[in-house]
Amino acid sequence: MIDKIEGLKKEIQNSTITNEDELEQFRLTFLSRNGKVQSMFGLMGKVPNEEKAAVGKAMNEVKNLAQSTFDEAKKALENTEEKVFGASDDISLPVQPTYTGSFHPLTQALNEIKQIFLRLGFNIADGPELEDDFHNFTALNFPPDHPARDMQDTFFVRKSDNESEQDYVLRTHTSPVQIRLMKDQKPPIRSIMPGRVYRNEAVTAKSYFQFNQVEGLYIDEHVTLGELIETLVMFAKLMYGSDVKYKVRPSYFPFTEPSLEMDIWWENEKGGQWLEILGAGMVDPNVLDAVNVDSEKYTGFAFGMGVDRIALLRYGIDDIRTLYENDIRFLRQFKS
Amino acid sequence: MKISTNWLREYIETPLDADEIADKLTLLGLEVEGIEKIGSDYEGIVVGEILGVKAHPNADRLQLCEVHLGNEQVQIVCGAKNVAKGQKVPVAVVGATLPLPDGDELTIRKAKLRGEKSEGMICSEVELGIGDDNSGIMVLDESLKTGSPFKETINTKPDYILEIGLTPNRPDAACHIGVARDLAAVIEGELKNPYQEVEKSAEDLSFINVNIEDTEKCHRYVGMMVNEVTVSESPEWLKTRLKSIGLRPVNNIVDVTNFVLHEIGQPLHAFDYAKIASKKINVKSFDKEVTFKTLDDVDRKVPANTLFICDGDGPVAVAGVMGGKSSEVSDETKTVFIESAYFDPTSVRKASKALTLQTDSSYRFERGIDPTLQLRAAKRAADLIAELSGGKVVAQQTDEHPVKTDQKTVSLRPSRVNHLLGTDLGKEEISGILTRLEFGVTSKSEDELTCIVPYFRPDVSREVDLIEEVGRVFDYNNIPTPKTSPFFTPETLSEWEVYNERVRTLAKSLSYKEITTNSLLSKKEASLLADENLHIDTLNPVSQENTTLRTHLLAGFLKAARYNFNRNAKQLRFFELGHVFQQDKKGTWIDGVKEHSNLLFGLSGYKKFESWDGKPEPFSIFDLKADVEAFFRELNVHDKVEQVVQSNYELEYQLDGNSVAIIKMIDDSTLKGFDLEEEAFTAEIDITALYNAGLANRDTEYQKVSKYPSFEFDAAFIVDSEVRAGDLSKEIRRSADETLVSVDVFDVYEGKNLGSNKKSIAFRLSFLDSNKTLTIKDVEPMVKKIVQALESKFEAKLRS
Repeated sequence: MIDKIEGLKKEIQNSTITNEDELEQFRLTFLSRNGKVQSMFGLMGKVPNEEKAAVGKAMNEVKNLAQSTFDEAKKALENTEEKVFGASDDISLPVQPTYTGSFHPLTQALNEIKQIFLRLGFNIADGPELEDDFHNFTALNFPPDHPARDMQDTFFVRKSDNESEQDYVLRTHTSPVQIRLMKDQKPPIRSIMPGRVYRNEAVTAKSYFQFNQVEGLYIDEHVTLGELIETLVMFAKLMYGSDVKYKVRPSYFPFTEPSLEMDIWWENEKGGQWLEILGAGMVDPNVLDAVNVDSEKYTGFAFGMGVDRIALLRYGIDDIRTLYENDIRFLRQFKS
Repeated sequence: MKISTNWLREYIETPLDADEIADKLTLLGLEVEGIEKIGSDYEGIVVGEILGVKAHPNADRLQLCEVHLGNEQVQIVCGAKNVAKGQKVPVAVVGATLPLPDGDELTIRKAKLRGEKSEGMICSEVELGIGDDNSGIMVLDESLKTGSPFKETINTKPDYILEIGLTPNRPDAACHIGVARDLAAVIEGELKNPYQEVEKSAEDLSFINVNIEDTEKCHRYVGMMVNEVTVSESPEWLKTRLKSIGLRPVNNIVDVTNFVLHEIGQPLHAFDYAKIASKKINVKSFDKEVTFKTLDDVDRKVPANTLFICDGDGPVAVAGVMGGKSSEVSDETKTVFIESAYFDPTSVRKASKALTLQTDSSYRFERGIDPTLQLRAAKRAADLIAELSGGKVVAQQTDEHPVKTDQKTVSLRPSRVNHLLGTDLGKEEISGILTRLEFGVTSKSEDELTCIVPYFRPDVSREVDLIEEVGRVFDYNNIPTPKTSPFFTPETLSEWEVYNERVRTLAKSLSYKEITTNSLLSKKEASLLADENLHIDTLNPVSQENTTLRTHLLAGFLKAARYNFNRNAKQLRFFELGHVFQQDKKGTWIDGVKEHSNLLFGLSGYKKFESWDGKPEPFSIFDLKADVEAFFRELNVHDKVEQVVQSNYELEYQLDGNSVAIIKMIDDSTLKGFDLEEEAFTAEIDITALYNAGLANRDTEYQKVSKYPSFEFDAAFIVDSEVRAGDLSKEIRRSADETLVSVDVFDVYEGKNLGSNKKSIAFRLSFLDSNKTLTIKDVEPMVKKIVQALESKFEAKLRS
């Protein structure tokens, strides 16, 4: 009996169906009421009881095979049915890829920086680009004859000899936002302040009269230089990889004391070089005094970095002007 | 600022090489930005003995020299006239390299010169880079051993010049001794300082009368004299020092003043005593502009109130900046008058800036020099001049000192040092560092040190300044990593920041590419955007292209569009988020300035290109409008803003009567102003205003969605052609209840059959109820109401 079933199975497997006629022939031979499958089941009565289970299973398999062979062949025949294709139905015809939205590389670099500081628990603060002298210079401990207050370095919008009227400038850093924060809010304060800043510089491949900064401020009762350095190291590792080689060295800014700068080792074709990536320091007591924060009770740190520079480095752009030309072929390279 | 490491080693002994010194200085805050090697190791240069000289058979000017090099004998072709048998000469052997003046190197090879072989080169001083004598080969002492290395026979060794980027707070480090002092502090070495205290002479100089008229600008004026000098070239050691830091040697008087300046940081001026009129020096400023010829032979207009050194006839030097031509030391000078003064930093800075003339002197005066150094420096210079010129130092000195600087005393709590730095330094360690920096440190109590600040540190006046000194010598990199991190619950992110992120992300999701454009426009560009009385100009623009702060973002887009169209772009879909500025009575942040954050959407070019599947399709104002309304919908203000038609080219959106957005088809004159031929459409959305409307809240409450389908009803109205579809839509909504969920226009039509000045607008109204399926019966009363309202208000007629 099993041999009979096997024979039928082979017969089904060997049958070929290439057109409607053959399909119908297959159906009549195997699947119709008088077909071979049905007549196979008719033999069941002759099977001894103890074999019935095994034989039944084998018969069912053959039945399923016949049905699936038929179904597949039918489907295949339907698909090969001739459809009329016109010239414009050619699926290989080219299309214009859909226009997609994207962020400018400056925004992408800034977002990376923001994400890192958000993870470190910093908030994000904003302020005006057009500032008064107090917020941009005086409160930040710039002496009255500091070179940064020079017309050669800073864009002035209003310059007044009248004591009661403050000078207005395009902010030269985002530090005025720190002043605004400390005026508005009691410590602890932990925030970064990204934004556009201005310096009176000619437009060249290496300089531009506007650029973007991210500064950070942390004020609390026991903030140390050690914590500042640790924060900067965390940033450098998250931004440039955990194996980043770095060093900090003393520097000078009017609004921090002590002040420092951080360099990282940047590999290039010539081997590599130390690159300054940010300036930082402990907020100068004069700055805290200017905004009525008790400089004996509170200490704090501040840091700042240039986003344009980071973007240039990150993407290997060699001309700052490229960032402000907005060539669509340039913008397209920065995927989201 | 250039520092020679060879020179530096005069004051501090150290086994460190130049790179190591540079690293130490950088970590001290004297950042070394570059290291340049000058001079040579003279590898491959040996002492050769000339055994014989004969004429070159093929060249009149060349000679063949038989030269013994110790281990071999070679023939060298030489062109120098002074070559002679028996001389000992420096020979660059085959394979040796010589520095060339242009910075390259010359490698000596075996050669044939006019048919005669030459294996090496007999060198002149110039070729070896050790002197100026180019007249012939350098002839060495006859006693030198043939074949011995040349470098053993001379005193020069290669020097490494450090370029230090000096921060403005460190005037003390603007000289070799100052740098050596810092280095000594960190390597705990001993500083050798040749400047000893000088006993002031009992009497003033009798040969000259010094008077300080402007004591505000000149705090001290020391004068010393050296007579019987012979002005000549400086000795080699002095010339080497000056040349190593890029100075041109002049003569043994001027060179000494420059040497002292770079050694200790005190600018000096040497006058020819004979040329000082009336033997009078008066330090004064004038209340009017003065024209003065400086040493560099330039007539300069010096503004009023600039400090001058004058003699009996008038100005002889711009104090602290540059001397004058008339009193310059010359070869005939017999008596030298040395000026060593302290000028007020601010006044020198002003003078230097006004003259756009920064000199080594002004650089130091304007940063603040040691106010006690003048006599010591004058004495050092006088002694050196006497030594080098065979002169005699006049025993008397003049020291006018009207303004004396008080020495500062600052207390320091060691606990505060550790509190601020995060260190665990002991009192001894702290006081050790400060002592090495020449602070006078005494212990006042358990946690208090009293520190006397040296005069050469005008930057140190507070406890925190001392803490910085301790920190930088300790090395910030040695500060231990904090054991715990300063963690407190972060504040919730500011709503404004969240809102801005939403706006930016939304713009991107609407398929706009972000651009960043200039905040500063030309006056002409700015005038195309807004009335001039709204402009804010910079007083000192970087160029005429960038004078005026942008009142709108529009200009940036149009410029970016032009840039791209010039490069054959076809499809531009840009956004920018940025600040815009206008004059305003109130002001946003500061008085008189409205500074808002705007979002710009800009479209120009083709929405769809010419292609096999259809004709090209340019962008239209409605593409932009659809995006703006999608934007409003996502910000949840779509049902709160109202559109107000400003013209056929401009549509405004208002929120509570305030303008929040403007959609524009850019008019021809503006396009022309920006040199654009393509049509452009912009939407400028005032994000600050939207945010301030208090609708930034994003808390979402789920609204049940109706289970039933909507019922749609079409109705076309004939109206006068000037009636706006927007107004009709508004009226339709007003007349219906909340089951009316949308009002669309599916057809607009003008035709003769409608009559002149008439048009038909076909609306599709969608009604939806959350409790049942609506039928015509349900909506009929409302439709009637709508028809009546439109009839009475717009004389609209329902088309059957």
